[in-house]
Amino acid sequence: MTHTPRRLALLAVVVLAAVAFSVSFGASGLGPGDLWRALSGDGDPTARAILLQLRLPRAALAALVGGALGLSGCTFQALLRNPLAEPYVLGVSGGAAVGAVAVVVTGLGVMLPWTLPLGAFIGAVAAMALVLGVARRASPGRMDTRVLILSGVIIGAFFNAMILLMLSVAYVESFRSAIFWMMGNLSGADWGSTTLLAALLVPAGAAVLSLARAFNLLSRGEEVAHYLGASVQRVKLTAYLAASLMVAAAVAAAGVIGFVGLIVPHAVRLAWGNDHRMLLPASFLAGTAFLLVADTVARLVVAPAELPTGVVTAVAGVPFFVALLIRGGRR
Amino acid sequence: MRDVSLAVTPGGLLAVVGPNGAGKTTLLRLLTGSLSPQEGEVRLEDRLLDELGDRERAQALAVVPQSESSPFPVTVREMVAMGRYAHLGPWERTGAHDRTMVERALQRCAVAGLADRQIGELSGGERQRARIARALAQEAPILLLDEPTAGLDLRYRMELFHLLRELRAEGLGVLVITHDLNLAARFADRLLLLDRGRATARGAPAEVLSREVLEAVYEWPLRLIAHPGPGRDTGAPQTIPLRRDDP
Repeated sequence: MTHTPRRLALLAVVVLAAVAFSVSFGASGLGPGDLWRALSGDGDPTARAILLQLRLPRAALAALVGGALGLSGCTFQALLRNPLAEPYVLGVSGGAAVGAVAVVVTGLGVMLPWTLPLGAFIGAVAAMALVLGVARRASPGRMDTRVLILSGVIIGAFFNAMILLMLSVAYVESFRSAIFWMMGNLSGADWGSTTLLAALLVPAGAAVLSLARAFNLLSRGEEVAHYLGASVQRVKLTAYLAASLMVAAAVAAAGVIGFVGLIVPHAVRLAWGNDHRMLLPASFLAGTAFLLVADTVARLVVAPAELPTGVVTAVAGVPFFVALLIRGGRR
Repeated sequence: MRDVSLAVTPGGLLAVVGPNGAGKTTLLRLLTGSLSPQEGEVRLEDRLLDELGDRERAQALAVVPQSESSPFPVTVREMVAMGRYAHLGPWERTGAHDRTMVERALQRCAVAGLADRQIGELSGGERQRARIARALAQEAPILLLDEPTAGLDLRYRMELFHLLRELRAEGLGVLVITHDLNLAARFADRLLLLDRGRATARGAPAEVLSREVLEAVYEWPLRLIAHPGPGRDTGAPQTIPLRRDDP
């Protein structure tokens, strides 16, 4: 615990470097020099517009989405006492995407922009309840890791089908939107969506961080947590709702981006241990840096076109997930 | 459970014994607020257990459950520090007093030298001592332990009961649920014998442990012999089960 402030400061520096990296590259070919002149006011107006209207909001959105996914992944792992739990794997992101798409195809999202994260939130909570319900019935008494992941994957597949169904009925140009919701994409970034995401993230993140000690207790089991003085049911309910809200806000802004919540907390755990007072804020910061880099890679590899960001995180995340699954099975 | 009454008093060591399924675990869950009694009541000092908040309860009552595991390894010190939860608000930083209590608990249970090791690397006996240290860090006047000697070898079992005896001498009220009739007879001040949800006998070990009662409760032939000594336990009743068909 004594190392925590130093470690978080180190991560904050990494985040700043990732922001600088992300802002410095893009399809327009403007380099760091042009951008610096634009910032200091004597560059040309186009460079300034590209920086302020395109690259900065996109970096801000990538940072917040990455942070939200890292923090919510860490929360789900603590709640389910399962290192493989993650919003994408659990189907929570898929549920949020169904809710968001439903709001979009009914036209509500255009009239009332705040209904988008609301729909995503309802979808995320419903998905969580559904996946946990199935897993409980399939392995009564104890929640088996593999059963939990299997139900998450199957329900996630069902959600993907629902999204395709809704989009194919509603839109002519549905294919691009489907890609957006199912694979995750930060290209829609603007200051409006970023601000809305930040506004939802602050209370939800604060609620989760206030439970850091309780998560330490819960990771020893609910019985132990009760004996040590945690109000187990209240902690679980608060954490599920807050984590679902974070996932919903992230999905509403950027579609489904998988595996951030898996890779990021794991890397932090391996490096610095499992004290949630360090782990939760570190997962937020590391998630921020990770998605900034992943999104920059997504924009660069096939420039001037770009990949969906979710493709990059999945390419990095799937081998990671498989390795963890194999290691967990051996233990 | 019915007709069970018991009191855990400061400076006393009460052992709850009885066969599997006698209700020992149910009793523990009633005493720790995991279950509410349908009739009767559990009181801490003069307040009903149900009326206490989770933190208040944990400040008064520390529990060492039978077993626990975690997918996320922590160090011994991190685990013992969890005992301070009930004394800390959500945004409160760990203070000097908290750290003192953690270090004292580590030393009290002889795991200070292992403080930076991971729990999973410890032997069964060391792990059990670390879990007791976590309960001591709670600063609760009452300590409940659920079969703390399960899976431990002879030396660790003796060490553990010695530790409980010392904690009792320091003024703690200790309740230990155990299958070990012989160690209970030597170390406990009082025994409570449970059978099918009822208290069959209660009192000093020599009063509770009689051949007739134990044979009826465990449904097995046995004999009691006096501990041969030397030492303080000389004469304590020790239970020897017989073979099934021997006379």
